[in-house]
Amino acid sequence: MTERTKRLSRRNFLLAVGAGGAATAAAIVAKNTGSSQTSDKSKRASRGYHATEHVNNYYRTTKV
Amino acid sequence: MTEVLKFVETLPPEEVARANFYGLLARLFYAPPDAALLEALAGAEEIEAEDGGIGEAWQRLAQAAAAADPEAVREEYENVFVGTGKAAVTLYTSAYTIRYSNEVPLVALRSELAALGLGRREGAAEPEDHIAALCDAMRHFVAEQKRDLHEQARFFSRWIAPAAGPLCNAIAQHAATDFYKPVAGFAKAFLHLEQSAFEML
Repeated sequence: MTERTKRLSRRNFLLAVGAGGAATAAAIVAKNTGSSQTSDKSKRASRGYHATEHVNNYYRTTKV
Repeated sequence: MTEVLKFVETLPPEEVARANFYGLLARLFYAPPDAALLEALAGAEEIEAEDGGIGEAWQRLAQAAAAADPEAVREEYENVFVGTGKAAVTLYTSAYTIRYSNEVPLVALRSELAALGLGRREGAAEPEDHIAALCDAMRHFVAEQKRDLHEQARFFSRWIAPAAGPLCNAIAQHAATDFYKPVAGFAKAFLHLEQSAFEML
């Protein structure tokens, strides 16, 4: 098989099994890029460990 | 929005779709979807597919998004993937691929990413083997760097393919997942499609 026909068959394969939904996926990713930036702060604050007022108070009580 | 789409203009539509699906998966695995993203997913058009797999998985994801409550999905995400102490299901791919305790895949991954011109964004706390980071790297290779398919295939088969199945199954089978079950289903269908397409190179 030549390089060209190999590329064509891969292309046909992708389109046939469904990765051709370019417009669909693009609309979602674009929309999401806009919206995720505004919620970035609140999202970051809720991820993993972060020192809350309560934790800080606790640390203060442990200081000698 | 135009800025997001500009760089993919010259790519064939199936490559644009691949990049966007990688982007979407990166986003869904990085953080729980907000209301706007759920709404966009719920209103997504069907993927036309001759073979049912990915089309059905996409439809199930859209239906789940339509029924989902953003607050509940956020709780689910934190409960399952973050948690206190050990996460119920980890999104770090090394956990699914390390066989010996002296293996250090993260070091190898970091240097491979650096050689490909990618690195961790300043302020990002997650190690690079997070599935969201790997999907985002693939999006970069496809849409922004327009890397040769063989290079994409090499990265995919080394870093994503071995973990994709076990990771998606772990999410789908966990009792505490709800919205993320169809997310995992779609991820599995899409990554399987990618693997099959790379095998045709």
